[in-house]
Amino acid sequence: MKWIMAQARKKEWSPYTAGLWLAVAFLIAVLGSDQTLGASGALENLSGMITGVISPALVDNMYFKFIMPPGITWQVWLLVGVFLGAFLSAKLSGDFKIRWTPEVQWNQVFGPQRWKRWVIAFIGGVIVEYGAGIAGGCTSGLAISGGIELAPAAFLFIFGMFASGMLTARVIYRRKF
Amino acid sequence: MAGIIVPLVSGLVFGWSLHKAGLTKYHKIVNVFRLTDLAVLKYMLASMAAAMVAVYALLDLGVLTMPNINATYIAGNVIGGLIFGVGMAGAGF
Repeated sequence: MKWIMAQARKKEWSPYTAGLWLAVAFLIAVLGSDQTLGASGALENLSGMITGVISPALVDNMYFKFIMPPGITWQVWLLVGVFLGAFLSAKLSGDFKIRWTPEVQWNQVFGPQRWKRWVIAFIGGVIVEYGAGIAGGCTSGLAISGGIELAPAAFLFIFGMFASGMLTARVIYRRKF
Repeated sequence: MAGIIVPLVSGLVFGWSLHKAGLTKYHKIVNVFRLTDLAVLKYMLASMAAAMVAVYALLDLGVLTMPNINATYIAGNVIGGLIFGVGMAGAGF
């Protein structure tokens, strides 16, 4: 018990150990309700719901009718759980703190201005969600869940993601840091 | 009710593991693309390798039915991935 608490209070685990727990989360999802993990779908369900209230015509199409129905779906509850789980881990390890910009690395490269983080996070978020919409999933929903099922789509996606990600990081960082 | 508890519990473990691997932090995500910190890859591949073995074993034992497999559209998956990578490396999530 003491050992378990000591582990829970650690700020960081080996990524391999943490990865094994993701496998546990995946098995819970598959055995419990025949679903795979995913993060980007929930945001589309929620945004579809909000858009539906503001302008029903915008969600009256194939995508929102059949692929990503608006509403509080299984994926949305998963996202609530992810939020709580990460919060619990951060709180227990004393890592929890409200940060306006990421402290490590970001401040050295972009500076501490908040608006820069907001603009880049917003644009990056739009790009990520758009790409995930086209590919049919994000890192968790397509790359990891699809990879576990040995779906070819997952490996094509991982290839694309790393090819452009490495190029983008190269352009942003050049010789910095 | 059971329809809510399963995703909540699964998400709880998922979020916990993400934070413990440090993947809630900007520099961890960006540095995998700069090849200076491969935590994202280690996390992804460890979970995939473990879950793959478990899922296919359970499948062969008949305990589990394969959930929806992501559809393959070669152009869609690759182009979507290319767009996704720009946002992920740019914003760090």
